[in-house]
Amino acid sequence: MNNINRKRSEKLLEQLALNGIIAWLRGLEVHRDGLTWNRFSGSLALVLVVLLFLSGAFMTFYYSPAPGAAYDSVDYALFSVPFGEMIRGVHSYAWNILLVLMGLHLSRAFICGAYKAPRQLVWVSGVFVMLVVPAFIITGDLLPWDQKGYWSTHVRTGIISSVPLIGDFLVRLLQGGPLTGIVTLTRFYVLHVIFLPIVLVILIIVHFHFLYQRGISAPLSGDDAVREKVPFLPNLVNRWLVLFLLVTLTLGLIAWIWPAPLGNPADPTDTSYLPKPEWWVLFLNKLVAIFTGSLMVIATVIIPGALVGLIIALPFLDRSPERHPTRRKKMMLVAAIIAAVLMGLSIMGYIEHFGTPHP
Amino acid sequence: MSQNTTGCPPEIINNGTINKDRRDFLKTAALVGGSAVVTGVPLVAYFTAPALSKGTGKWVDFGSMEDLEPGRVSMLSYEFLVKDGWLVLPQRGIVWAKTGEGDKLTVFSSVCTHLSCNVIWQEETQVFECPCHAGKFDVNGRPISGPPKRPLIVLEHKIEDGKLLTLLTL
Repeated sequence: MNNINRKRSEKLLEQLALNGIIAWLRGLEVHRDGLTWNRFSGSLALVLVVLLFLSGAFMTFYYSPAPGAAYDSVDYALFSVPFGEMIRGVHSYAWNILLVLMGLHLSRAFICGAYKAPRQLVWVSGVFVMLVVPAFIITGDLLPWDQKGYWSTHVRTGIISSVPLIGDFLVRLLQGGPLTGIVTLTRFYVLHVIFLPIVLVILIIVHFHFLYQRGISAPLSGDDAVREKVPFLPNLVNRWLVLFLLVTLTLGLIAWIWPAPLGNPADPTDTSYLPKPEWWVLFLNKLVAIFTGSLMVIATVIIPGALVGLIIALPFLDRSPERHPTRRKKMMLVAAIIAAVLMGLSIMGYIEHFGTPHP
Repeated sequence: MSQNTTGCPPEIINNGTINKDRRDFLKTAALVGGSAVVTGVPLVAYFTAPALSKGTGKWVDFGSMEDLEPGRVSMLSYEFLVKDGWLVLPQRGIVWAKTGEGDKLTVFSSVCTHLSCNVIWQEETQVFECPCHAGKFDVNGRPISGPPKRPLIVLEHKIEDGKLLTLLTL
């Protein structure tokens, strides 16, 4: 009986011309030591990206990218469509968690020396994946056309325009003109739902290509020479599906209990509205408050640019094969200082914007 | 030997005079490049067009000069129709007018020179204060504390038939 079934399914696959692809998928193998409970950040990030794509794609069914109408459409989707609050909430929580998770993913790869040869490009491609995420957030924040999104965009375009020489042009290019209006909203929307997702998918494929070709890094305690492999299908796929189920249920529940807030509709004349920076840009906001005037470029271009450059170049700067963190004390110290400075700036930014009420 | 697509006699290819791989590569590269240019030029122009048009100035009527209290800073709000892409929308905002002795009048843009928040005139302390990072400007628009380093922008103005007209750029 079983044999007959097998023959039938094989015949079907052949008819659909899928037999080659299935054979290829069955042949894929991953390291067994990567499938432990404490190595989850990459899989979880993938699950969150899938959830963001799903919830985002479905939110477009009830979204109208025009000032005013945008707010009403989001409001309608929230309160008049079944699961409206949940789907928007999942989208909102998922990107916040994704940002934290990518920080963890990067830290783990750094601490465990996973960026070292032969995995330099796994690291570099991963950093590029991370760099796309802020672009998603910046374009996505404006879409509900609420006070927070509108005024945050105002501050962000102010920061971009401080870039020497090309700043003003960049702002006009992003806004599609001199002001944040319907052209801007359309641009941000199209970037958010078409162009950036294409870029993200390509970068994730590149990341996976390098990861698969070079293999996930061995555990620090393990012996690099003998590493058992298991089939990708179903071992890793099942793991992803279990994570997907758990994350969807958890985020759905959280979003159901605490829906993501929607502020008041954007009012460009409201001079009293204070845009509060989000947690992940607090350090940048503090830097912008420290370096002002002609020095602002230090805060907006030089420091972030140097930081990103340093992170991308890391595998080529640190070429020693030593992976264990206790034997890479100098590296750990430098990273700890950078992390502490960023954390300190964030805390200072938090106190400035949330701690003391402005007169 | 794979198919001969060079159009050359096979003996030339085989003796190494013609590098077939190089020819094939250059052909495909030229086609890719051509396709990129043919699609790229119109598409890039299509996307960047709005960024290239310069903002136009507009003289906005702020009403009678007599409404301004001499020796004080007053908030003047404006609303006029602006073409935003394919929409014509009322654009609203404020400017600050400072009247001095006689005919002396200065109109300040309300845009903070730090990060473009709107500055607010504080009558008690006689400063323009930016709510975003607590930047302060004196009554002449000069930065006195906080992050802003450049003075508030002074807008061009003229008085016609007793009415205050200010040039706003958008």
